[in-house]
Amino acid sequence: MNSTLLVGLWRQRLASPIRVVILALMVLLPPLLGSVVRGIGLQALGDAIPLALVLAAGMIGQDVSSGVLQLILARPVRRSEYVLSRWLSVGFGASIANVLQIALFWGLTAARGWAPSAETIASFAAGRELQIFGVAATMALLSSLIGGLGDLALYAMIFVFGGIVTMIGQTRQSAVLHGIGEEIGALLSPKIDVAQILAGAPSWFAIATYASNITLCLLLAILIVNRKELSYASG
Amino acid sequence: MPPAEPRGGTRHVPRWLLLAALIFLVARIVTGIQEGRRPQALTELVQWETADAGLARSRTSGQPLLLDFSAEWCGPCRVMQREVFADRRSAEAINGLFVPVRLVDTQRETGRNAPDVAMLQQRYHIEAFPTLVIVPTNGSAPTVIQGYPGKAKLMEQLTAAGLKARLERGPIR
Repeated sequence: MNSTLLVGLWRQRLASPIRVVILALMVLLPPLLGSVVRGIGLQALGDAIPLALVLAAGMIGQDVSSGVLQLILARPVRRSEYVLSRWLSVGFGASIANVLQIALFWGLTAARGWAPSAETIASFAAGRELQIFGVAATMALLSSLIGGLGDLALYAMIFVFGGIVTMIGQTRQSAVLHGIGEEIGALLSPKIDVAQILAGAPSWFAIATYASNITLCLLLAILIVNRKELSYASG
Repeated sequence: MPPAEPRGGTRHVPRWLLLAALIFLVARIVTGIQEGRRPQALTELVQWETADAGLARSRTSGQPLLLDFSAEWCGPCRVMQREVFADRRSAEAINGLFVPVRLVDTQRETGRNAPDVAMLQQRYHIEAFPTLVIVPTNGSAPTVIQGYPGKAKLMEQLTAAGLKARLERGPIR
C-alpha cells in the first residue's frame, strides 16, 4: 500500500480546523457523559459511525472537485491503489480516534469505580473497529460517485430513505420491505456482533454480508474512479 | 523522461478484490438462504419473566416493568431480539434497569391469546408489534415505544425511560 497516499489524507484532515474540532468533541464528550451518568455504560459512546464519517466525508469527491486527483494520478499511481489507500487511511485514522475515546472512557469510569470489564471493552472496541472499516468502504463508494462533500448528503438521503422503507415494512408487516430496509442499514452501518461471536453463536450471514459489502463497495469505487475522465481538457 | 506507468496500467482492477467480492457475494446469498430456512437459534441474554412473576418482583424491588409485546411471525421483533436482547451489553443494561416481561401474541396461530397477554394488550392499547411498554412503579404514565427504531435509538429510549422511572422512585442505588 502507498504510505504517501495514506499519510496525505491525514494531513488534509488535520489542515481542516472544523474537522479537527468536531473530531475532538466526538472523542471527548461521550466519555465525559459516561463518567457522569452511572448506569449508561458503553451506550454513552454509541456507534463509531460519526467518527468514521468526519474523516471520510469527501475522501475522493473533494480531490476530484479541487483538482488534486489529477495531480496525484499524473504520477505512476494506480487508481485502485489510490482508492484502497483512501479507505485504509480513513479506517486507520478513525481507529485511532476510536481507541482514544474508549481508553478515555475506561480511565474516567475506572476512576469513578464503575468501569466495564476488560472483556466487555475489548469486544466493544473490536465491534467498532469493524464498523469503522465498513463505513469507510461505503463512503469510498459514495465519494467516488459525487464531488465535494456530496457523499455525506448522499449518505443522509439513503439513511432517511432506508428509515422510511423500514417503517413502512413494520407498519404493513411486509417482510420484503423490511428486508430492503435491513439491506440499506447493512450498507450504511456495516457491522458484526463480536459479542455474539465470542458467545459461540456467530451469524455467518451477518459476517458474509459485512465482508461482501466492503469488497463490493471498494470494487465499485475503483471501477467508478477508473471510468473518470480526469485530464485537464475534460473540464 | 516521464514516469513509468505501473504494470497493467493505471486503471488495473486488483484480481484479488474481484475474487473476494465474488466469493463473499456467493457466501452472502448461500448463508442468507440457509438462515432463512433455518432461523439462527438466538441466545437471548435478557432474563424474561412471566407476567405474574414480573409484576410481583417489580412491586417488591421497585424496578419498572418492561413489557415486550411481540409475535412469532413479526420480522422486526426477531431483528430486535437478535440485535438488542441477544447483545450482552444491551441485555445487561435492560436486566439492570427493568423487570423484563415478554408477552407473545398467539392470535394468528391459535386464534386466541393467553388471558394475561390479552388483558395487558387491552390495557396498553397494543396495535402493532413490537411494542415495548415501560411501567413505572409509582403509578405515573407508562412510556410506550412502538416499532423497532434500531438498536442505538431503542437503547437510548430505554435508558432514558428507565433512568427517569428510577429517579422518580428515588436515588439510584
